[in-house]
Amino acid sequence: MLSVLIWVPILSAAVIGFLPSSAIQQNRVRLVSLNVAGLVFLWNIFLLLKFDINTPGMQLQEYLPWNETLGLSYKLGVDGLSILMLLLNSLLTWIAIYGSSKETKRPQLFYSLILLVSGGVAGAFLTENLLLFFLFYELELIPFYLLISIWGGEKRGYAATKFLIYTAISGALVLASFFGIVWLTGSTNFNYDALPTQTLPTVLQIILLVGIVLGFGIKIPLIPFHTWLPDAYVEASAPIAILLGGVLAKLGTYGLLRFGMGMFPQAWSILAPTLAIWGAVSAIYGAVIAIAQKDIKRMVAYSSIGHMGYVLLACAASTALAIVGAVAQMVSHGIILAILFHLVGVVESKVGTRDIDKLNGLMNPIRGLPLTSALLILGGMASAGIPGMTGFIAEFIVFQGSFSIFPIPTLLCVVATGFTAVYFVILLNRTCFGRLDSQSAYYPKVEWSEKIPALILAVLIIFLGVQPTWLVRWCEPTTTAMVATIPPLEKAVTPQVALLNPSKSIAE
Amino acid sequence: MTATVTKAILPPSTHEFAPIIHRLEAGGAMLPDTPENLMQIIGIYKAYAVPMDFYWRDLLYIAERVFLDPFPFFKYFLPKEYLELHNHYAGDDADLRIWRGKATAHPELLAFMEKGETFKMPKLFHHLWHDRVNMEFAEACMRAMLWHRGMGGKFDPYLDTDEYKANADRAIKAYFQGNPVMLGLYKLFPEMFIEQVRQLSYYSNLGLFWEVMAPVFFEMSDRYDAGDIKTVPEAMNFLVNAIFAIAGRPIYHHLHIRGEVYEIIPKSCGFMWLYEAALPYVEAVFYRTAPFRGTKSYNAQAQQVPEDQKDFHYGILYADVFPVGTAGIPPTLLMQDMLHFLPQYLIDYYQQHCRGKDDMLIQLGISFQRSMYVVTSAVIQALRTALLYPLDDPNPRHLKANRAFFEAQLNRFKRPEARLRDVQSQNYR
Amino acid sequence: MADIVDIAVSAGSFQTLVTAVQLAGLVETLKSPGPFTVFAPTDDAFEKLPEGTVQTLAQNIPQLARILTYHVVPGKLKASDLAQLNKLTSVEGSEIPIDTSEGFEVKNATVIAPDIEADNGVIHVIDTVLLMG
Repeated sequence: MLSVLIWVPILSAAVIGFLPSSAIQQNRVRLVSLNVAGLVFLWNIFLLLKFDINTPGMQLQEYLPWNETLGLSYKLGVDGLSILMLLLNSLLTWIAIYGSSKETKRPQLFYSLILLVSGGVAGAFLTENLLLFFLFYELELIPFYLLISIWGGEKRGYAATKFLIYTAISGALVLASFFGIVWLTGSTNFNYDALPTQTLPTVLQIILLVGIVLGFGIKIPLIPFHTWLPDAYVEASAPIAILLGGVLAKLGTYGLLRFGMGMFPQAWSILAPTLAIWGAVSAIYGAVIAIAQKDIKRMVAYSSIGHMGYVLLACAASTALAIVGAVAQMVSHGIILAILFHLVGVVESKVGTRDIDKLNGLMNPIRGLPLTSALLILGGMASAGIPGMTGFIAEFIVFQGSFSIFPIPTLLCVVATGFTAVYFVILLNRTCFGRLDSQSAYYPKVEWSEKIPALILAVLIIFLGVQPTWLVRWCEPTTTAMVATIPPLEKAVTPQVALLNPSKSIAE
Repeated sequence: MTATVTKAILPPSTHEFAPIIHRLEAGGAMLPDTPENLMQIIGIYKAYAVPMDFYWRDLLYIAERVFLDPFPFFKYFLPKEYLELHNHYAGDDADLRIWRGKATAHPELLAFMEKGETFKMPKLFHHLWHDRVNMEFAEACMRAMLWHRGMGGKFDPYLDTDEYKANADRAIKAYFQGNPVMLGLYKLFPEMFIEQVRQLSYYSNLGLFWEVMAPVFFEMSDRYDAGDIKTVPEAMNFLVNAIFAIAGRPIYHHLHIRGEVYEIIPKSCGFMWLYEAALPYVEAVFYRTAPFRGTKSYNAQAQQVPEDQKDFHYGILYADVFPVGTAGIPPTLLMQDMLHFLPQYLIDYYQQHCRGKDDMLIQLGISFQRSMYVVTSAVIQALRTALLYPLDDPNPRHLKANRAFFEAQLNRFKRPEARLRDVQSQNYR
Repeated sequence: MADIVDIAVSAGSFQTLVTAVQLAGLVETLKSPGPFTVFAPTDDAFEKLPEGTVQTLAQNIPQLARILTYHVVPGKLKASDLAQLNKLTSVEGSEIPIDTSEGFEVKNATVIAPDIEADNGVIHVIDTVLLMG
């Protein structure tokens, strides 16, 4: 059942990729891959319906022994944490393929790489075996390098190489930690539930956890390991940027939750204050740098860094509510980022520039891009956390869950949310409002195939904002169970304690 | 055309718009003479003339019959009598037959009033759905003239005279005869009622102005279709001749109550179409108008709006046509009206450019701007003919006076908002 | 001597003007003692106006009267008197600029025959119809 999500895309990728170009019309390739992605998405919905909300542990498991000497086994399972990630992956793959230009060069290679990536990411989310996770994690590397460097913007070679190097180091760090875990605990295989990491001395736990945090920290990304992101997101074409930001970044936070918090609860509670501050710093930094940008795509890229900071804060706080918020933020950010990158891509392809100083007046109903601008406003405001949309839900839960544990970092993150509104208002004010320049504003019209992905995402954003239960109900039991294993944080201050002893200081 | 004579006598102009000055001196217009330009302006004149046929009739209806009705809910419901009112410059019984067609309402207008953009329904539904001729645009033009006032001619000063006030007083009392409430209000606020009557006089002024322009545009379109107008200067000259021919048309304001006629502004005042209607209209609507409310905030302290009304530059000759279609832009009403009556050759032309059918409103708006530059050129050439010297005058002093006049007129288009530079290029769509 | 109207009638080249004056009912005025200075456009001057102009004016007497009275200035001003002035105010109310620097010009018209004396004034013959503005 679960294997379908991995192998249908990968096999389709192989078929599409290796088919001789005479056997299939080049302009049909997009349609074929769209259908494949659509089928995978529908299968995902089917699995969602089969998913039992009340069970905290792994469900729908599959197991195939593969290479016992290495400790590598094909073990798949899905729980509350990963089911939403899988849905996000297949939805965004479909959106990315739909939103890709019909005139993409070398379509067979392009779409087969996308499907390959999609299948690989699904595998990473599904696997219960550390080594298998690493294999799927590394599977992304070369396809994305190719996707950025062949179909990207001007500095694509530079951006793709930087991405490759950073992500390779990230993988190396993660692998080192995994090997460390297995070697130090003396277990025979890499299976997730078979690793008795609690038996290790605290110091070793902390060292291994630091390795995992750094490795996934490059992926998320966290300041100061983020420098690959702006270049990669900006140089990648819009569909690839959607996949990079919407799906690949989530791999980092998922890994942090599953392998960091999940395997090292004690070490996690020791590192938590540092992580909370790190998350707050990341959020503020991302927002402040975004305010200074002149390129709208770069602005959205930096906003992505900021929003991932909230996830880290919530993971650090590790209350039940906070982890729910972390998952909600991962999903919500994925959807919002997708709509933003898609619309920025439409603006760039119609107007020809991304420079905020040159863009103006796009809301003009006849000569401008009215629907695109309107949805850009919706996306921007969703990202800033306006109530009624999914961004608010996610951020509110994160703040509510983290405030009791880490009040100062939470407040800093709230400030960062305010900054998000600042740069999005700048972007929308300059891009959408104002006057069209009658010397140059002769833009082609936006086709329906470019509007539909944005409309679908907009509907989803509003729906989840108004009915948040559809976002959180899947993950609650799992996250509550995960949190139960974490010892209460030493620095925790519950509201009751604070009221009784106002003089008791927080930091110790 | 005696371009060579002029050029031989005078050295080239050093004005910023020297090529346009030379074109005017050669008998041309501010718009370049190309077949594409000619097609655009003639097509738009025709598309403009059909709703104009409604505007002038309804303006006169409001000025003469609706008058000071406190609840004029049906002022746009033009009665049959006014639809069949004979235009004085068309039809067999015309004072001066400018248009070869009928004197009653244009058949395309009648067809549109039946169906609108949707389908045949009772008039009230068309009105409420706003599927009708946008009379609000005509009222906006009237209000521009009223607000600016003082633009020359004797009509405007007359509105402040005692004679006018006495006429208005008589008319008001007659209109509200038997209505103690309104007469009481009139006793309390006489100035308010007189000011309303002044506004209605401007309704009449504009209605009489457009009564003439509609047959002129129809005739131009018919001549173009028959091949009699082949260049932009020929079109402009037709306008110049028309301006002279009807210059003497009287401007008046007569009120019809219960079968009697009350002359608020009698014909005997001697107000002429050229001086009291046309020139103030061009000044108020083509050049000045007012900034459109609701689209942008203007900081008065930062001088973003000129202090003197004569410096206002929000008319069609300065307008940015791209916002047409946005809320709060009155010309959108006119563009939408014209969209319904475009000749087929213009529709075909627009479909080949820009976004085709999707942005026809703006494309035709820009054609309209070009056509209004030709009308303005005609006014300038007419004024030159009336007040200055012929283009082929052998006296260099006279030619210098002509040139000074042209340069002074073109100085008004030096400011960056003026679209004179844009209309020189065919790519401005 | 003859008055202004008689001179105009007998000259033979002012038929349009005379007809206009009669239509406008200004004959009595121009036969009165005055005195008046009249700038009289010839028939050729009226021909120069685009077709239909005179017809419309002829249909509207007050407007016609206005144009005609613009050509009349109270007082008897001969060419020598006008040489010292640079503008006059017509009976209609609007101003008429005078330019005697090179030849004798009244607004945009050239005086082709000045100083035709009459009982009640003087006539200057001009080659263009004067219009206000």
